[in-house]
Amino acid sequence: MSSVLDVVLSSAFLAAVLRVATPYLLAAMGGLVAERAGISNIALEGQMLSAACTGALVAGYSGSVAAGAFAGVAVAVLLGLLLAALRLELGADAIIAGIGLNLLASGGTAYAVFTLLDDKGGTSGLNSGTLPTITLPGIEHIPVVGEVLSGQNMVTWLAFLAAPFVAWLFYRTRFGFHLRAVGEMPDAASSVGIAVRRVQYAGLALSGALAGLAGVFLSMGYVSFFVRDMTAGRGFIALAAVFLGGLRPWGVFLAALGFGAAEALAVQLGTLDVPPQLVSTIPYAMTLVALALYAWRRKRRGMGEVAPTSV
Amino acid sequence: MTTSPPATLIESEDRREYKATRRRGLAVDLSMTLATILAALAIGFLVMLATGKDPIAAYEALLTGPLERSFRVGRWLEDATTLTLLGLSVAIPFRARQISLGAESQLYAGALAAATVAIFLPLPPVAAVIVPLVAAAAAGAGMGFVPGSMKARLGANEIVATLMLNAIVVRVYDYLVNGPLKEPGSSAVHSERIQPDSALTPLTEWLGIPFGRANVGFLLMLLTAVALWLLITRTPLGYRIRMTGSNVHFAEYGGIRVPRAIEWSFVIGGAVAGLAGAHLVQGVYGRLEPGLAGSLAFEGIVVALLARNNPLVVVVAGLFYSYLRAGGDIMEQQTDVGTEIVVVIQAVIVLLVTAQALPDLLKRRLARRQADPSRKQSGAAHGEAGAR
Repeated sequence: MSSVLDVVLSSAFLAAVLRVATPYLLAAMGGLVAERAGISNIALEGQMLSAACTGALVAGYSGSVAAGAFAGVAVAVLLGLLLAALRLELGADAIIAGIGLNLLASGGTAYAVFTLLDDKGGTSGLNSGTLPTITLPGIEHIPVVGEVLSGQNMVTWLAFLAAPFVAWLFYRTRFGFHLRAVGEMPDAASSVGIAVRRVQYAGLALSGALAGLAGVFLSMGYVSFFVRDMTAGRGFIALAAVFLGGLRPWGVFLAALGFGAAEALAVQLGTLDVPPQLVSTIPYAMTLVALALYAWRRKRRGMGEVAPTSV
Repeated sequence: MTTSPPATLIESEDRREYKATRRRGLAVDLSMTLATILAALAIGFLVMLATGKDPIAAYEALLTGPLERSFRVGRWLEDATTLTLLGLSVAIPFRARQISLGAESQLYAGALAAATVAIFLPLPPVAAVIVPLVAAAAAGAGMGFVPGSMKARLGANEIVATLMLNAIVVRVYDYLVNGPLKEPGSSAVHSERIQPDSALTPLTEWLGIPFGRANVGFLLMLLTAVALWLLITRTPLGYRIRMTGSNVHFAEYGGIRVPRAIEWSFVIGGAVAGLAGAHLVQGVYGRLEPGLAGSLAFEGIVVALLARNNPLVVVVAGLFYSYLRAGGDIMEQQTDVGTEIVVVIQAVIVLLVTAQALPDLLKRRLARRQADPSRKQSGAAHGEAGAR
């Protein structure tokens, strides 16, 4: 047990937590924005995957990491807008349309990589580079803090700024008020002159941008290549963090950070003869229990409503 | 219940009209499905063209390849069995308007249960096949019950619950295959083989045609589809599930215990997904393999959607979609087009199917175009219309 504690308290582990949590934090904030705008974004997974693939490909071919990152985020934004259009213009069920977009991303990225590079696995043959790391001057000399923070990728810094940004957006800006109003009660929002559709399109675009950033981090953060289906369900986990966090920015932040920490722990414990697969089930089991408790409390307060999913 | 009075003339006319409407509805459904598939294939064609491939050669391999040799047909039937069972498994909760994404966890739980029984429990010949199947269905049903009762009794979001359960079960499965259930002394990661008596008989043995790994599970799948169709259309439980799905308030008003219906839809769906896991273990691989199902669980959703959740149509959709999958592999071997294009085609199908307003939109546009000429010369047109 003490060896577990040693691992958990080491600065290397804390640094790993920040790194591993990065995609969860960004994607979960993306999911939160969409959810509060009234359109569930189950396509987070596909947006991350498309962004990761596009980022690596564009960076590899253009030689510019920045261009790659920009293109990756742009593709995810487009997918967000597409989801909004399917929902708003064509009356599609957001969940099913999201599943479709995820499939599209999974097949499309694999097809693109295979067509361009003749490689089934990924873009490791392409030298696409990584986004720069950021070290605040002076910080690396502070004992633990320096070791944890120094040398983290710039996207990790952005990921930790995402929660305060979303909180500020939701509660301090006009757009945030409109977004929440639209998600809560579109008819009422529309009756006071809010352009409901425009707000929802903007919300889904922002959601896509955050998920795209998460995807770009996967292929251009600590590794410099895209691997087929490299998101490995992170988008779905981020979605779970959205609900576990009670649809509030700081709650979602903590939930996503928790998932990241648990995953980092699972990796670390793999070296200690504890089955890593079993350790890595803990956050999901916790979420399941939390989901049940949350629903039970709501129901007891008389807010629970057993009804088919609103589609 | 009161006995129904003799049908009056009006009643029988009404019934005839109702039947005609239903037939028209079916025709519309079928043609919409066909149009969707054709549109998706056309988009796939354009994608190949845009990426500098030869789409005609690719489609030739895709569409004729699976029928060229009997073992390819076998591969198709084998895939269709799993895929259709998965499609059926989500179609049932979908009928109650529950979006269950839990087929993955149910399949893996079913595979684990079937394999554990089939490897370790000595059983007499026929029971050796049936007991693992029952165990798998029970395990799948259990995995359906958890999110089902969470949704039905507490109102917990079933999408999150099923996704979490997937994440948990897949990891536990991974652990068991890598650890306790790993074949002792083998360097490869997989379980021991099941006892020969537990294997689902290959179709080859029955028909004398080399059908590869296709097995009796195919017939089992057909039976399951018919049974589910009967359940949904002909039984009180099916009625309750359908009512819950079409109008929950009306269902409640009519005295249907909605939570029960929801729960049952998950349990039944789970049992069927469990059978899909048993099919993979007892029919296809003969043991537990890591990553047994690949991405099949999500593809079952496509099949269910394409079939509009009608169990009998799910069989057709499952056969169609697995045909595309089998063809995709052949296309990749014979041409330079990757099999992933099939996933893209599939995704387009989903997006088209889900865009419910698309037919209305087309209709409206068509109507507008027809109305347009008269609008230009509005005064005259009004006069004409009035004269008529």
